Amino acid sequence: MAASLLWQTSVPDDLVLPDVDATKGLDKSVLDDAEDFETFLRWSFVASQLAALAVLAVYARRGARFARESAAGRIGTGMLLGMIGLALVWLSQLPFELLELWWQRRHELWNAGYLDWFLESWISLGAEFLFVCFWLLITMALAAVLPKTWWVAAVPVFVGLALLFAFVYPYLVESHPAPPDVRRDALVFAQRQHTGPVKVGVEDWSDFTSVPNAYATGLGPSRRIFLWDTLLDGRFSRREVRVVLAHELGHHSRHHIWKSVAWYALVLLPLLGGVAWLTARRGGLYAPTAVPLALLALVAGSLLLQPLDNAVSRRFEAEADWTALETTRDPAAARALFRDFTREALEDPTPPGWAYEALATHPSIEERIAMATAWERRNARGRR
Amino acid sequence: MAEHPVRISVDDDLRRSRLTVLFRLVLAIPHILWWNIWSFFALFVAIAVWVVTLVRGTPPAGLYTLQASYVRYSTHFFAYVVLAANPWPMFTGRPGYPVDLDFDPPQRQRRLAVAFRLVLAIPALVLAVCFTGGGALTYGGGTLLVVAFFAWFASLVRGEMPSGFRDLQAYGLRYLAQLFAYLFVLTERYPDVDPAATPAAGREHPVWLAMDENLRRSRLTVFFRLLLSLPHIVWLLLWTIVAIPTAFVTWLAALIIGRTPRALHRFLAAWIRYSTHLYAYLTLAANPFPGFTGAAGSYPLDPVFPAPERQHRLVTGFRIFLAIPALAVNGAVGLLVIVSALLGWFVALALGRMPASLRNAQAYALRYSAQVSAYVFLLTDRYPYSGAIRIPSRS
Repeated sequence: MAASLLWQTSVPDDLVLPDVDATKGLDKSVLDDAEDFETFLRWSFVASQLAALAVLAVYARRGARFARESAAGRIGTGMLLGMIGLALVWLSQLPFELLELWWQRRHELWNAGYLDWFLESWISLGAEFLFVCFWLLITMALAAVLPKTWWVAAVPVFVGLALLFAFVYPYLVESHPAPPDVRRDALVFAQRQHTGPVKVGVEDWSDFTSVPNAYATGLGPSRRIFLWDTLLDGRFSRREVRVVLAHELGHHSRHHIWKSVAWYALVLLPLLGGVAWLTARRGGLYAPTAVPLALLALVAGSLLLQPLDNAVSRRFEAEADWTALETTRDPAAARALFRDFTREALEDPTPPGWAYEALATHPSIEERIAMATAWERRNARGRR
Repeated sequence: MAEHPVRISVDDDLRRSRLTVLFRLVLAIPHILWWNIWSFFALFVAIAVWVVTLVRGTPPAGLYTLQASYVRYSTHFFAYVVLAANPWPMFTGRPGYPVDLDFDPPQRQRRLAVAFRLVLAIPALVLAVCFTGGGALTYGGGTLLVVAFFAWFASLVRGEMPSGFRDLQAYGLRYLAQLFAYLFVLTERYPDVDPAATPAAGREHPVWLAMDENLRRSRLTVFFRLLLSLPHIVWLLLWTIVAIPTAFVTWLAALIIGRTPRALHRFLAAWIRYSTHLYAYLTLAANPFPGFTGAAGSYPLDPVFPAPERQHRLVTGFRIFLAIPALAVNGAVGLLVIVSALLGWFVALALGRMPASLRNAQAYALRYSAQVSAYVFLLTDRYPYSGAIRIPSRS
C-alpha cells in the first residue's frame, strides 16, 4: 500500500504521450555519436558489474581467511573484511573505469587527466571504507543484541541516517551563489509551485567536464538546488535554464527527497532480510566471517532491485518535468533543452528497452519531448 | 647476520666542559674548514675507488684506508659539533676518539652493486634525512640538529650530556658513517638503520614496548593500508577530543593528590596505547588490523605503562614546559617512522614482509613516542629516554 501511495504523481493519469520525432533538428552525426557513446558505456557497465559480482563471489568463499590479518575484536574484524571486499571490487572496476574515462575524453565530455581521476577514485574509496565501517558497526552491534531480527531494527536506523545525510549534504557541497537572474527565477517559480524559497548554488565543474547537470538536494531549511557551471556557460539559453530550474524545484515541491527516503525504507527491508537469511548459515552478521557473503548479497540484491529503483526515479523525473512545464509554460524551451542534452552530453534519445529498464534513471529524451508536446496539446485544448 | 663492517664505539662519560659547550660552534670553525677541504678531495678519491673496485672487485687498500680515515674524521667532527663527545677532535681521523669507528679490512664486492651504487643508495639517502634534516619533511632539522640544540642548553646547565640524547646522536652518527662508507664504495653492506647496533646506555624506563618478531605482511592490506586506517583515524580523533580535557583534569588531580587517579590513568593509558597500535599499523610496523579499545596485550607492538605512582608535584606543575625538548625530539624521531613506512611499503608489497631493520627503527621511534606521551599525559614522571636500544621481543 505504501508503495502504491508513493507511486502516485501529479502527472495526469490520462496523459497519453504522442509519437514524436526526437531526432528532429539533430544532425545524423550527432545521433550516431550519441548512440556509439552510450552503447559503449552500457556494455562497459554490464561487464563491470559482472566482474564485481565474480570478485565478490570468490571473496564470499575465501574472504574469511583475511580475518587472520586482524587483531581487532568481532566488529573490528568485520570492518576489515568489509573494507577488503570493497578494495577488491575497486580493483576489479579500475580497468572499466579507465576505459570509460578514455571513452569520455575521446568524446570531449571529460577534461580531467588520468591522475586526477585516480586520486578522485582513491578518495572515493576512502569514503566508501568509512561508510561500510559505519554500516557494519550498526548491523553487527544490532546482531549481537537481536541475532535473528537485527535487520528489522536496522531499517529505522538506516532510514534515520539517510534523512540526516539528506539534510546535511547541501552544507558539504562547495558552491557559489547563482547569478541574480537565476535566483530571481527561482523565487518566482517557488511561488508558482507553492513552496518556500529554495537557495540556488553553482558548482564549478567546467575544469573537469563539459556535461551539463543540475540536482535538488536537502530537506526543510537545507533545501538547495545546485547547477553545474557547465549549464551556464552560454551553450544553453536562458529559457532552457529556466526549465532546468523549474524541474529541480519540482523535486522539492513534490517532496521527492522525502519520498526517495521512503522508497529506500521499503527496499531496505527485503534487502537486509535477504542478507540476514543468506548469512544465517555462517552465524549471521554477528560473525565477522559472514561479512564477505553479506557484501555479495548486498551488491547482488542491489543489482536485482536496480530496475525498480530506476523505475521510481524515472517516475519522479517525469513528475518534475511535468511540474516544470506547468511552471514555465514553455514546452518549446523544454524540447530544445532535451535535444541539447543529446547534442552536448551525447544522450541517446531512444535507448534500447533493456538498457532503459536496467540503467535509465530519467525518462528517455524521446519521452521527455513527447511529454512537452502532450502538455502543449492538452493546454491548447484547454484554451480552446 | 654478520656484523656490519663499519661499527661505532662510544667511550664517553657524558661529562661536558661548559666553556667548550658554550663556544662549541666557534671552536669547530677550523674543523669546518678542514672537513670541507677534505670532503672535496674525498669526492675525487671516491670516484677513483669506484673505478678500481669496478675493475678489480675489491677496493684498493691504500685508498680504502684514506677514505676510512675521512669517514672516521667526519664522525669525530660531527660528534664534536652535535655534543655527542667532549674533546676537540684530531684532524687526521685516527682512531681513539670517544665516539669512534671500526672498519673491517676491504672485502670483495659484487660489481653490479658497485656499478649502480648511487642508485642503490637512494633509499638510504632518504632515510638519512631523518638524522641530518633537510628536505621538505624536516621543518626543524633532523635528530642530530634538534638534539644538539637542546643538548647545548642541558650541557651548559648540568655540565653533562643527557645519556638519551648522547645515545640518539650516536645512532645517527653510526648510520651516517655507514652511509658514507657505502657511497664511497668501502663496503657493499647497506647502511643499517636498526637501532640495536648502536651502543647505548639503555636505561630502564617504566614505559616500554613489547614486540612480536613477526615480519610477515599481507600485500593486499599493505597496498590499502592508508585507507584501511581511516576508520581508526576518525575514531582516534574522536577519542582525542575527550582525552585532552581528561588530561587537564588528570593534571589538576595530580597536582592536588600527588598522583594520577586510577580511572583517569587507565583511560589515558588506553588512549596512548591505542594511538601507538594505530601508528604501528598505519606505518607497517605491525601487520594486523588493530582493535578500537587500546586493550593491553592485544597488539604485536604494545606499549606497557606503569601503575599509577606518586609524582613530584613540581614536575607535574611544569610538565608541559619540561616536555618541550622531548616533544621536539619526538617530532624529529617521528620522521623515522614515516620515512621507514614509505620505504617499507614498496618492500612489503614486493616481498610480503617488512625488513627487520626498518621495523626495528620504527619500534624504537614508537617506543620513544609512547614514553613522551606517557610523560606529557602524566602516566609517569620519568623523563623519556631517547637512546636507540633494541626493543625486547615478546616471543
